[in-house]
Amino acid sequence: MEAGSLLRTPIPWNPKRLASLPAFPRFIRASSNLQEGRYRGPKPKRDWVADWVSNNDDTVRSLPIYVGGVSLLAVLVNRSVSGIAPVADASSSQSRADLLTLGLAVTNILTGLVWLSIRPKSISVVNPQGVECQRIYSQLPDSVVSELLWVWESLSAVTCCSSLVIAYDGSCFLQIGIAAESSTEDGEAEAVDATKLMQGSLCQGVMKSGAQSYLANLSLYPGKSELPFLPSNTQAVILQPLGDKGIAIIGGDTIRGFTTSDQAWITLIGEKLDATLTKFVNNLPLAVQDKI
Amino acid sequence: MSSLFYNPLISAKTPPLFGANTTRKSPTISARLNNSQRTAASDQQQQLNLSVLRFTLGIRGLDESYLPRWIGYGFGSLLVLNHFVGSISTTPAQLRTEALGLLLAAFSVAVPYLGKFLKGATPVEQTTLPEGTVQIFVMSQNISDAHKEDLAWATYILLRNTNTISVLISIRDALCARGYWNTPDNVSKVRMLDWFEKQIEQIGLSDLKDTLYFPQSADSDLQEMLPRGTRSLLIQPVLRAPNPSANEMEKTEGFVLLASSISYAYSNKDRAWIGAVANKFKGMLGSSHAI
Repeated sequence: MEAGSLLRTPIPWNPKRLASLPAFPRFIRASSNLQEGRYRGPKPKRDWVADWVSNNDDTVRSLPIYVGGVSLLAVLVNRSVSGIAPVADASSSQSRADLLTLGLAVTNILTGLVWLSIRPKSISVVNPQGVECQRIYSQLPDSVVSELLWVWESLSAVTCCSSLVIAYDGSCFLQIGIAAESSTEDGEAEAVDATKLMQGSLCQGVMKSGAQSYLANLSLYPGKSELPFLPSNTQAVILQPLGDKGIAIIGGDTIRGFTTSDQAWITLIGEKLDATLTKFVNNLPLAVQDKI
Repeated sequence: MSSLFYNPLISAKTPPLFGANTTRKSPTISARLNNSQRTAASDQQQQLNLSVLRFTLGIRGLDESYLPRWIGYGFGSLLVLNHFVGSISTTPAQLRTEALGLLLAAFSVAVPYLGKFLKGATPVEQTTLPEGTVQIFVMSQNISDAHKEDLAWATYILLRNTNTISVLISIRDALCARGYWNTPDNVSKVRMLDWFEKQIEQIGLSDLKDTLYFPQSADSDLQEMLPRGTRSLLIQPVLRAPNPSANEMEKTEGFVLLASSISYAYSNKDRAWIGAVANKFKGMLGSSHAI
């Protein structure tokens, strides 16, 4: 399954240049650096139809309507031009053929209407007002810190998350992203009072049920006042309990910006974080000794 | 909690059936209001945010998005039948109508295929578990417990949250395979690990630098490893961040391989999350530290 000599010339890996790649007879989905040619497996072929449909989403959605409408008119015009009376009876084969074609045209029009109705609404991003911050609890070992930072990088890259706060066992382990500006010190982020947070009704409700809570449109919830450290125009918030002792607060910049798949992933990541942080908290006396 | 990650019996995630919430009615076409599947799970919604007009026949288990295809086949064959069985002489007007009708029928047949790629389309098929292959869970033993737990957790989460039936993670010397694989029968765990390593070496997967996604069946050498009935395949390399001072290129530390039994199994969002999980292993075996 060697790709051939054309692909042995190194093509720099740069996603922006994909569009300007010259037309090779056998397309690959991503440009690759196959100098050594050690990878001998299959390479994916470009999927023209899928790419074209995804790029011209609006046009494709209304395409069946146009096709159906034009055919409808064509059938009627055909009838009138050939001098047959436009009467829908199934007696002559011409009429039967016309009826079948009309049926197909109507099916296409209806499909086009269904596609238009299920077009996902695009909601605009609201830039959160606040200051950037990155506060990590000082006594955390490197492995825990790298795990927390990994969670932040994944969430900010994949979802619409713009602020993340993790509170565990009475202290705030992580506050990262955009936070509200502090009222007392200019330019600094508002600090998180973990004990007060955990005692508030929002968090108590979440901890009691043990399940994730998704506030898709934060402006509708009065509990917003319990989260003063988040930017005031945060649009959506997910409260994920971490076992019995902690909570992760994930703020997003789009109303209903977290999809169900995001919620499922966040739940599972929350379980992993809980396992890691529990181990850290249980080993705390030993860890402090080791650091000395 | 850690025992959960080691449990090899995991059921694959099944996406909700498209027409699953239709009730039994007489087969008349009726318009129903349904909540979009994306927001159905959240019961804190205060507003109905994407009401969808769907035409359903009310027959449970029947998927209406393929209806244009069946209508296309049905009416197209009726048109042909009409042409031959009908009146002896065919006028040019009738020929024009029939040509138009056949074109429309061909378009209707293609319509569900195009609809699959639109935004907001949900996959119709459910993952089927392959028959004749056994679920396995093997992991290299020469790594620390923390790393073992990370690998177990990552494979668990990938199997559970995406339409995956087999997953293989290989980072430097550590290897973890979980799910349904076409391994030779009755080998011990150690031999199975060797078998996987040999397969990887043959295909040269450890030198991959780009994410490869095969939405439909991939041909080739990879098919021997994967269970029969694999349609989609995703290989995500784990790259070490390049050291700017040394001016070196990105080096591959390993890869994550996912296989599924339905085609077009991984949407853009799925692939983004898989990339995020793969990033967790960046630099994992570079330095060892105990928690």
